[in-house]
Amino acid sequence: MPEQDEAPAKRARTRRRAAAPVEPAEPIDRSESWAVVGAGPHGLSALKALRQHGIAADGFERAADLGGNWNFGAPTSRVYESTHLISSKPFTQFPDFPMPDSFPDYPSHRQVKDYFGRYADHFGLRGAISFGTEVVRAEPVDDGAAWHLTVRDVVSAAETTYRYAGIAVANGHNWNPKLPSYPGLEDFEGEVLHSADYKDADVLRGRRVLVVGAGNTGCDVAVESAQNAAHTWHSTRRGYYYNPKYAMGRPSDQAADSLLALRLPLAVRRALFGATLKVTVGDLAKFGLKRPDHRFFETHPIVNQQLVHYVGHGDITPVDDIASFDAHGAIFTDGRRADVDLVVFCTGYLVTFPFLDKDWLNWTDDHPHLYLQMFTPSFDNLVVTGLIQPDSGQWTLAHWQGMLLARVAEARRARPGAVDGFLARAASEADRRFSAGTHYADSTRHYYEVAHQDYLRALQAAILDLEEAS
Amino acid sequence: MSPSASSARRGTRAMRPWDWAFPPAPLSHREVISAQPAEPTDRPPLLMVHGLAHAAWCFGEHWVPAAAERGWPAYAVSLRGHGGSEGARKIRRTLNRDYVHDVLQTIIELPEPPVLIGHSNGAVVAQMVAERYPLRGLVLLTPAPVHSGVGDLLAIARDRPVDALGATVGRTLSMEPDILFEGLDETTARGYSDRTGPESPLVQWELLLRRRIGPVRCPVLVVGTPDDRLVRPADVQRTAESYGVEPVWFPGMGHDVMLDRGWDDVLGTVLDFCADLPPWGQAPPR
Repeated sequence: MPEQDEAPAKRARTRRRAAAPVEPAEPIDRSESWAVVGAGPHGLSALKALRQHGIAADGFERAADLGGNWNFGAPTSRVYESTHLISSKPFTQFPDFPMPDSFPDYPSHRQVKDYFGRYADHFGLRGAISFGTEVVRAEPVDDGAAWHLTVRDVVSAAETTYRYAGIAVANGHNWNPKLPSYPGLEDFEGEVLHSADYKDADVLRGRRVLVVGAGNTGCDVAVESAQNAAHTWHSTRRGYYYNPKYAMGRPSDQAADSLLALRLPLAVRRALFGATLKVTVGDLAKFGLKRPDHRFFETHPIVNQQLVHYVGHGDITPVDDIASFDAHGAIFTDGRRADVDLVVFCTGYLVTFPFLDKDWLNWTDDHPHLYLQMFTPSFDNLVVTGLIQPDSGQWTLAHWQGMLLARVAEARRARPGAVDGFLARAASEADRRFSAGTHYADSTRHYYEVAHQDYLRALQAAILDLEEAS
Repeated sequence: MSPSASSARRGTRAMRPWDWAFPPAPLSHREVISAQPAEPTDRPPLLMVHGLAHAAWCFGEHWVPAAAERGWPAYAVSLRGHGGSEGARKIRRTLNRDYVHDVLQTIIELPEPPVLIGHSNGAVVAQMVAERYPLRGLVLLTPAPVHSGVGDLLAIARDRPVDALGATVGRTLSMEPDILFEGLDETTARGYSDRTGPESPLVQWELLLRRRIGPVRCPVLVVGTPDDRLVRPADVQRTAESYGVEPVWFPGMGHDVMLDRGWDDVLGTVLDFCADLPPWGQAPPR
């Protein structure tokens, strides 16, 4: 491409070599291109989809390598040494770039990062990404016709501003730790850790550990703690369903999708799931765990075969919500207490866009309201991708989010006003949920929850609309 | 686009629950024959996919080395149960979607998006790949029809009723020399014919069904021969029309245009098409 010479990725490379660059006052004109913020799976798929549709696009990534959350060891990576996928390959992979047959059903985080590297190399994306470059500010200009994007080199701190046709925001939503507050926590003399900083089991070895939270991370950490710590307490607010990773000899999500393929209604699927769990896991109350206070599919699925096992072996003591802390440990709402050396808060993450005004994202009640979880009602050239938490693998959805984004960018370039209908819908359908008929239990962690079949049908319908309109 | 052609097309399909619930079985070995040009090149790789009962050897014989000699990185894959690839024991349970998986698994090992060249049923597989993967270009050689091969089966039944009956009850379609070739001497033709193997009856039956292919955005080349004894020229014409292109005809050749006398001319046409391809992602949508 002729404009390759001025592309930011190339610029960043030359700037590192050159001494004391003089930054131009005027933004560098990339107004034919889109910017993609973040080079994790969603950033990569957006970058690839745009370029696949003949739309020039530049990527910006704060870390030195791609992978985002899966770039183990990078400051914003939140995976730990033992992380494996909790959804199996077929629905987790990019549909046009399957994971190699040599990968297991549930690949490790190293294999996942390797996979993203292969994807980027195959589609020639690496050269389009400026690594070690943090986006500090994005602002609409000319009534939203274009965006000014200011980036900072993490080494030299030099800032550069570009003018882009549009911005795809893929900075992830699992990196900014959410820490609940408890009375007395400041008096606690042991160590306090958020799962964001949990890297491997070394920190647990031989200690008395309290793990807080029953998300997939909380359950993973509780299991690792059971294997390494002196004793483990696991505090949860409510009872959950603990799904096995395998059911009937197959990855359980594949078994679940066979019910979807048969188009069985929700009530039937619920009944079948309940029966399967009863047979494979059994009554959780018999293990001393709380009975789920909600129906299946109403909370984000937890996939963990080992937690119940370790509870049954006495290595994990399930406990209630925490009432307060004192110097030596925690007091729970049922009045019990546990003296511990380490508390690991697996309490999730806050969705944060440090470089954008919340107003631009239609932000009220603590979260953005976006059509298809992607599009704002005010701009047809500010698109968020990856702000979803599916009940399945993630990257098939990442692929189709990227494809829809590219189709919108393509239609918008071909015919100004082509996406006006889209914007109108973004305003009226900003609160549409994709829950496939269930009601998610009320918790901030479910703002971004989507039922994959429901959400994917909606993405597909939006793509077909654009195909028909063109 | 003619109405009959457009009716065989349809929109993008994101929902594939059967693929998620029942993914094709992974293979531990897949045979890939390849040859690289002497000089490093920025030309895209060519990936060739064989048809019923054949294997990578049918391209390995002439096309793979000849394409590399003319400066193109060339690859041919044996689909599962064929040639040197694993899966012979399960071939009777194999579907075309398993072959699609095999092609995609081969593609992810290539350094960049390839031009996919499919022959006969391999052209059906190639179109199924093209609707879900962004190819650089798509070449269909004497393509079996995605709009139902019932007409071809009836035509075969007229000429060779025993073959047609056999295929209907699940035997591999006959690959006798006079069916595949027009211009080869008897020994050579017999030699090639003897190298063909068993085919999945399910795949043969699948060819009778009408299959809808989603939007394909890359450039397409369709090659046919009026003297084809397996795929009727009218079906090749209709396949080409569904992509809004005219087929390129090679009279005097049999169904196996990569092996029959004149293979060189066909390869020349294919390489000319490949040389004119726009950069990846730059093809105007049709």
